[in-house]
Amino acid sequence: MEILKCTDVEKVFGKGANQVAALNGIDLSVEKGEFVAIVGASGSGKSTLLHILGSVDKPTKGSVLVDGVDIGQLNAANAAVFRRRKVGLVYQFYNLIPTLTVRKNILMPMLLDKAKPDKDYFDHIIHILGLEDKLEALPNQLSGGQQQRVAIARSLIYRPAILLADEPTGNLDHKNSKEIVDLLKLSNRNLNQTILLITHDEKIALETDRIVTIEDGRILSDQIRG
Amino acid sequence: MWKDYSVSYIKNNRASSISIMVAALISALCLSFLCSLFFNLWVSETNGIIQDEGNWQGRITGTLSDADITVIRSFSNVKSVEWNEELSDENAAVVDITFHHMRTIFQDMPLITAELGLEESAAEYHLLLLSKYFVHDPQDKEPPLLMAFYLAVFLLVSFSLILIIHNSFAVSMNARIHQFGIFSSIGATPGQIRICLMQEAMVLCAAPILLGTLFGIALSYVIMQAVNQIAVNIPGGFASDWVYHPAVFAITVLSSALTVLFSAWIPAGKLSRLTPLEAIRNTGTLKLKKKKRSRILSFLFGMEGELAGNALKAQKKAQRTSTISLSLSFLSFTLILCYFTLAGLSTKYTYFDRYQDVWDVMVTVKDTGIGDFDQTQDLQSMEGVRDCIVYQKAEAVTLLPDEWQSGELTALGGLGALSETPKTPEGDYEVKAPIIILDDESFLKYCESVHIAPSLDGSILLNRIWDSVNSNFRYKEYIPFVVENKDTIFLKNTVQNETTELPVLAYTQDVPVLREEYANYALVQFIPVSMWEKISGMTGSAEADTYIRVLGNEGLDLAGAEALEDRITKSVSRNYKIESENRIGEKITNDYMISGYLLILGGFCVLLAVIGIANVFSNTLGFLTQRKREFAQYMSVGMTPAGIRKMFFVEALVIAGRPLLITLPLTVAFVQFAAAASHLNPSEFWAEAPIIPILIFCLAIFVFVALAYYIGGKRLLRCNLSEALRNDTIT
Repeated sequence: MEILKCTDVEKVFGKGANQVAALNGIDLSVEKGEFVAIVGASGSGKSTLLHILGSVDKPTKGSVLVDGVDIGQLNAANAAVFRRRKVGLVYQFYNLIPTLTVRKNILMPMLLDKAKPDKDYFDHIIHILGLEDKLEALPNQLSGGQQQRVAIARSLIYRPAILLADEPTGNLDHKNSKEIVDLLKLSNRNLNQTILLITHDEKIALETDRIVTIEDGRILSDQIRG
Repeated sequence: MWKDYSVSYIKNNRASSISIMVAALISALCLSFLCSLFFNLWVSETNGIIQDEGNWQGRITGTLSDADITVIRSFSNVKSVEWNEELSDENAAVVDITFHHMRTIFQDMPLITAELGLEESAAEYHLLLLSKYFVHDPQDKEPPLLMAFYLAVFLLVSFSLILIIHNSFAVSMNARIHQFGIFSSIGATPGQIRICLMQEAMVLCAAPILLGTLFGIALSYVIMQAVNQIAVNIPGGFASDWVYHPAVFAITVLSSALTVLFSAWIPAGKLSRLTPLEAIRNTGTLKLKKKKRSRILSFLFGMEGELAGNALKAQKKAQRTSTISLSLSFLSFTLILCYFTLAGLSTKYTYFDRYQDVWDVMVTVKDTGIGDFDQTQDLQSMEGVRDCIVYQKAEAVTLLPDEWQSGELTALGGLGALSETPKTPEGDYEVKAPIIILDDESFLKYCESVHIAPSLDGSILLNRIWDSVNSNFRYKEYIPFVVENKDTIFLKNTVQNETTELPVLAYTQDVPVLREEYANYALVQFIPVSMWEKISGMTGSAEADTYIRVLGNEGLDLAGAEALEDRITKSVSRNYKIESENRIGEKITNDYMISGYLLILGGFCVLLAVIGIANVFSNTLGFLTQRKREFAQYMSVGMTPAGIRKMFFVEALVIAGRPLLITLPLTVAFVQFAAAASHLNPSEFWAEAPIIPILIFCLAIFVFVALAYYIGGKRLLRCNLSEALRNDTIT
């Protein structure tokens, strides 16, 4: 089942002489349950692609269908609701709300929707991510690895169609990086979660099912690993 | 979202909440004070109108019977109908009507008059009273605008307050752009973010609004009591009871809440419109749009000066609101004070100083000619009276041929240069020759004072005319009016066109000791009452009243002046209708009135000052707290805490100094202009300039900016360097 389809996606920043094409005709299709790594050098356009897929930015041209929804056509409010329910975003710098406890940070997408959390699913995620004893802590009371695990839990809580992770290990040491990648793999396997992982670390990319290489805003190669 | 996010944010960020709460408190205080004060002024005005003119809204004059009254009462909107006995006479009866809903009075009254078979003109409206309730005659193109003025002031203050609170909210919200970016990225809609911020604003401001409203009520009570203290000391003044109404409370709370909501709505709207990407990328660092150099600051304070200058330039827009607000309040404050100083000086020179030694008690004997007043000798011999002149004024005109003008006057262009001087067909000028008729004894004394033999057989001419070319009205210089070669003067009766010849006893430049201002271009003459009795039928028309000018003993104080006034009025009022005043009492009354004006306008100035300073304080505090990352960057490249303090000093100096630099030259220019326009010597103003209050205001500006830097700086310097450089998990 195709969960993501990008067709001829372009993104241009700036105007006139200062125009820069960050993405230049991206065509990409991802099936449900795939674990895809998007790799590329700094400035290749991989983060821009992730932002567009996560509906936090809009393409200049082309269409992006996520779970059948053309996200380029959504207005601000609908795009927000879409992000809340269909996309899980994990950033390099965690982006947790500093004044909320771990529990509230994780549940925030559901609270925004006034939806009742599934307690069993919540406990399951917490257990997988090893956050049972940190639920009442504030983000600044956690280590970097723990904060990133909270961010992953938050991104999974709504069972999104797609989880987008932007250099999730970029701010972590080797041990914590490995842990985070293992957790992502675990979610992919156990929860059949579709994951797009952006990284410039080849070793991490090799942990995924498929590696898409981007250069100068174009897909240079798309390699499915056995 | 409110429950989950805002509550914990408020709990963990008390400092930023406090600046919003203080801004809301000040706003509610200002609005409540104004509402309460205006309500009291409104009640006082309305009661005054009712007291003076009666409590009626519509009035019908015509042939009316009891049956007509019943007809009027049958109108459902009519509240009361009463005969007006005072105005009714045998020709026409007058009834006063009040209505339940006075807004429809202009529709109801024509219906009533039609039902009574009267013309529409039989109806009269109490327009002044109705205007107090915003009810205006639809036909009146220029209705009384006092209520509109109240409303305009209220809206102006509300707008100013929105500028302040909006700034406090903007500062608090901008510090959290990144957090709202996170919210947005995990699915918070713009509407949810906006509502969250608005709820947060209302919760933060609810208690300060109520508290500020109560403080405002208390302040208005104190001010009204102070005004009453002054009012009761002014003749004819009366103390008004302080009043309040629940509707005023409701209006105050509602307008304060709306002010707060509107203030929060502006930044909340801006913030919610940011895309998640814009918000999440926001690091809170200041950015310059193009390269700028702060040459002066750089020259004076080195690198710290340049960095401070750049930071201020990057925040130009936010600083602009603060600078304008503070400059305007400081300008209004200084201009009002300077205006009062100038006005006070002007009154002093034109009135009190000029007439300091010429009168102690003045009595106006109403509708009595000097010839009919027979108590002159009694008064002149009364105990405690040093000198007493009884006099009356009359108008007359004299014909003045060209050759009679003095050489000095001719040299300046002569009477021909004065456009208002008419000429007869024979070529003579018709010059006003006002007559001051003195009681005989005083006239004889005046003769002595001008060194002529005492005589009652003629007039003494005040031979002077204002040299308006070489002097101004405040420091007048005079030149001789006529050549002193004639023994008689011809006075023309303007009504009967007859001429009377009057002997001239002397020409003089000295006036008798009277509290009189003589016309600038008139040939004034003083005559004794016995002479007036001879010529009064032929010339001039005397004014209706006679005046008594009394000088008491040397060193007279208020009690002495009042006792003297009392003795004189008791003696004279037995036979005549009089009005009296004493110089010391009048001076004190004038001082009280100026104190009253100063109290009200001073209160207004303080309000302006509070608004300006509150704005600069909240803006400065917010400006600093936004810059955690910026200062961390400076420290990471080796700037010491002392260097940062130096930056704070430079920034504070610029923020506090700029409004002063803008305002002070404008104030000096205003004072120079106003002093020149009123022909006051600027040095006289500067000797009495309100330096102390202006200095206090300047000092307050510096203190509050310094305080904001102290509070904000302390928090900045406590911040963990590496964390500040990395992310915003520390708040």
